[in-house]
Amino acid sequence: MSSKRHSILPAVSAGPKPPVHFSSSITIADSALLTGTNLITISSESVIHPRAKLDSLAGRITIGRRCVVHERTMLGAIGTSGKVTEQAVTLGDYVTVEVAASIEAGNTIIGEGTTIGVGSKIGAGAVIGKHCTLTPHTEIPAGEVVPDFTVIYSNGMRRIDKRGVADLKNKGQARQIEVLRRMIPTNPAKFA
Amino acid sequence: MAPLNPYTYIQCPCSDSASLGRPSDPTSPASADGDEEDNTFDPRAPRANFSLYPLEYLLYCEDCHQIRCPRCIAEEIATYFCPSCLFEVPSSNLKSEGNRCTRSCFQCPICIGPLSVTSIEMPPSDPNLLAPDRAATPHTTYSLICSYCNWSSTEIGIQFDKPNSIHAQLAKIRNGGASRLTAKERKERRKELSHRGGEAAAAAASEAAAGQDVDLETQFANLKLFYTSQLADPNAGDTGFSSLGDLGFSSPSSLSRIMNLYTGGKLHDPRAKSKLGAMREAVTADEGLLEADLDESSLIAQLHQSDFLDTASSTQICSQPPNLGEPHLHGAVRFNSSLRPVPYLLRTKRSKRCPACRHIVSKPEAKVLTTRFRIRLVAGSYIPSISIRRLNLPGPNGPAAPAILGDLLEPLKPVHFVLTFKNPIFESLKVTLGAPAKTPGRFPSKVTVLCPQFDIDANTDVWDEALKDNDRESSSRSRRRAGTESQFQVEVGKIWERGRNWVSIIVEIVPASLKLEAGQDALREDEDVLEIPMFVRIEWEVENGGEDAASGPGRDKDQQEKRELAYWCVLGLGRIKQG
Repeated sequence: MSSKRHSILPAVSAGPKPPVHFSSSITIADSALLTGTNLITISSESVIHPRAKLDSLAGRITIGRRCVVHERTMLGAIGTSGKVTEQAVTLGDYVTVEVAASIEAGNTIIGEGTTIGVGSKIGAGAVIGKHCTLTPHTEIPAGEVVPDFTVIYSNGMRRIDKRGVADLKNKGQARQIEVLRRMIPTNPAKFA
Repeated sequence: MAPLNPYTYIQCPCSDSASLGRPSDPTSPASADGDEEDNTFDPRAPRANFSLYPLEYLLYCEDCHQIRCPRCIAEEIATYFCPSCLFEVPSSNLKSEGNRCTRSCFQCPICIGPLSVTSIEMPPSDPNLLAPDRAATPHTTYSLICSYCNWSSTEIGIQFDKPNSIHAQLAKIRNGGASRLTAKERKERRKELSHRGGEAAAAAASEAAAGQDVDLETQFANLKLFYTSQLADPNAGDTGFSSLGDLGFSSPSSLSRIMNLYTGGKLHDPRAKSKLGAMREAVTADEGLLEADLDESSLIAQLHQSDFLDTASSTQICSQPPNLGEPHLHGAVRFNSSLRPVPYLLRTKRSKRCPACRHIVSKPEAKVLTTRFRIRLVAGSYIPSISIRRLNLPGPNGPAAPAILGDLLEPLKPVHFVLTFKNPIFESLKVTLGAPAKTPGRFPSKVTVLCPQFDIDANTDVWDEALKDNDRESSSRSRRRAGTESQFQVEVGKIWERGRNWVSIIVEIVPASLKLEAGQDALREDEDVLEIPMFVRIEWEVENGGEDAASGPGRDKDQQEKRELAYWCVLGLGRIKQG
């Protein structure tokens, strides 16, 4: 760790180093924060941006293929319930977790192709369906079940997305990941 | 309780309808019951709320030398533009095409976000199919997609061939993709058929029209055509002038006939009645008759099956423009799935005029993209601005505590506020203040303005002031410094502090106690806010040299004209602690 700090945010304290299972093709930034005691699995071609925080104290974290986890996200935050389960957070394939989103631990499942908007808060145990879109700053209460193809917009309003662009979105995500791989210097060995 | 930041609201003289147009001539503000006819201005009166504005909202008319507020100002429209594409729409287009954008700017009917035109990629053709012409290029279609709620126009079955002029394409498509004829096209078809001539063609045309669904636009057009033809007939053979043209009801002969009907009595022409009786109502769809279909069972069945959130809300329904492709009333939108994209309403750039003298007070540039103004006479450049801060004097207990903004005021304990008057004009001002000794309302607080009359220096250049400063250093500096010695001296009749173009004075308030007597109503909303009405009168001298060039002889030197302006303002100081 460099001694000179440029950030005005408080220094992040390092926790226990978790056991990890990385695929060979992932991109994980040097300043990503992985803490916890349980296993963290990241499947092929996923991208973890700098300063994303993955906390596996309350259970395992499983990230699917071709996921993108942006900065300042918090996966596995221990919510108010504080329960510890076998599987804290599961992300399906092609999931995008935008900046400053927070996903609480407790068997929370995010379906394939879902986009979690900027600053969203997903409660513990929530089950989000496939190809959903959560617009920025949505809050999902704990235990909520969101059906497939739902768009959550405005103040908790929901509607079904009928565009039928799931395949196109997946292709777009794959192309985005190709670009990100060139831009983010990866260092999986640091966490192994 | 929410903390209150001190504010200043100024009353526009327009609420006094008699004084509009002439400079107000106030009575001496030393007598606390100010204004001509009225009592002290009561900021809690219901009408007062509509005449009080912060300084930033007020304009100033230079000819009348009066404040103008958004209520009394007369507005004229300078340009119309679409807020989404910023395209300037000439006002002549408004009458023909309406007050909405006719290009490609639409709002999502579900979430009012902007819709963008995106191409829908056609799936690759099935290789099993034998296509004779392999060289056929795939036809890209476009649709409107909302980037926020992911609504797409394909949900109502609408796709477009071209990515531009969506408004025109939309007018030709109904929900579900079926096309419809616009008014222009119908006229052209009618003309074509009439050119081909013959009764048979006309009969065929009317049959065809009856067979189609009659939508809102066609019904209106048919009805209008029918009624104009009906109005034309009664005047046939009236006075023999009908051969000159279809004058209808506006011909002078028919007008005089109608007037005689109303005024005459026995004088009216007995022929006239029979002529008018020849009008009849429409009987066929071609003439504009639309039979009501009162069977709504299919709609009711659909309502049974759908969710409450699937129905359109009243705001969504109201924001839909009239759907010309559906019959009137029967095409009333009930479900979210039949909402069409909403074209953006055009916005305007307006120029403002004084209602009394028609002098232009604010005029923006005609170009949409520039935010500058050609003329902008705001009150902030003519009347002094008042800023308020609380002054904590050291009590007998020790040094002064720092003033916290928005702190609650203790009842029955005197507090001091510093009012800073800043002079924006280039002449020195003489300010006279008057405030009633007790604030109006149920809980009167005691108000004392320690220095009701003072002068403020002109708003000269900073550099001029710095040069002058060198001459009289010591004497002015001791006055200006907010040193420790002046902190304790709250003297009546003396100003607190003075600067280049500003003066601070002290106002002493003893807030009222908010204790409710038996039988009194509970404390109303914002009744604990301490507001003091204050009458401000400013006098200044203006050189009249450059204005009237054509004035007569005997004016060799610049005349100093004395001008004055007076208005009521309300200072909101803070909230009084309850209990």
